[in-house]
Amino acid sequence: MKRITIIILTCLLATMAAVAQNGLNINRLFDGRYKKAAGATEIIVTGSQAREIGLTVYHSVSVTDKTQAEIIENLVVKDGAQAVDKEVEYRNGQLYYGFYTMPRQKRANRYIFFLNQNLARKSPKNVVTIIYMEGNASADRIKKLIRK
Amino acid sequence: MKEFKPINSQQELERLIERYFDGMTTVEEEDAMRLKLAHCPWSSQAIDDAKAVMGYFAVHSCQQGRHATRGMGQRSIGIAASVAIILAIGGFAIWHQQQASDICIAYVNGEVVRDNDKVMTLVNQDLNRMDNATNAMAEQLSSLGEALELDNE
Repeated sequence: MKRITIIILTCLLATMAAVAQNGLNINRLFDGRYKKAAGATEIIVTGSQAREIGLTVYHSVSVTDKTQAEIIENLVVKDGAQAVDKEVEYRNGQLYYGFYTMPRQKRANRYIFFLNQNLARKSPKNVVTIIYMEGNASADRIKKLIRK
Repeated sequence: MKEFKPINSQQELERLIERYFDGMTTVEEEDAMRLKLAHCPWSSQAIDDAKAVMGYFAVHSCQQGRHATRGMGQRSIGIAASVAIILAIGGFAIWHQQQASDICIAYVNGEVVRDNDKVMTLVNQDLNRMDNATNAMAEQLSSLGEALELDNE
């Protein structure tokens, strides 16, 4: 019985891990905490709508709560350490902008964008945005996508 | 496994018992001796002593055998249950993936937005914000380049 319980728990954990998609630190931000939060916007797009922009998963969170900026930045920087390619800009010791190409998983390319508009020189805004993108699109395609 | 030749006489058995108590027997010989002791009709001081000593082991191994049989049954049920659970979980994962394959939703200030066009507009707003930031980076790089060129002139 004990063995069966262990097998069940192992399978459940494996399933949860698979469902949780990607084993990134930023997943903690996508646990639903911002869905009901004032001053926060969370966007989830998968399937046909995501395919329209060349992706399989688009998941973003934008928050106006300054206290969240540091939390988000820390998680992004942790994941950024595993990135295979990155473009980052720090301002006053804080991450202003980051575009990270993460190692491929399940044959999909994975990208993380981070932007702290509080640190913008031109018209700063109290908004921190993080975007997770997954799909077959190359980094160049993603960059073109944001420059459309 | 090496087979020990059958014990055909009481004398052979008694010699084997003697060697057993002297610690000279092989595993195969001990197995053969136990089997013979369990079924033979012979009686002597050596044989009766051996039966008494082996009795515990015989009963013990018998019980172990029964446990093993029961364990095998439980193991089969366990394996079947595990396979069923793995299949169920796998099915759930596939179902979940299919369910999750077409999501287009946004939560704005706690309000749910399900309209695809509105959600995609929000996506574009996200991307525009990133665009502005990358433009700023490009401008910065360009101005750095210009500065370096001027410096080198």
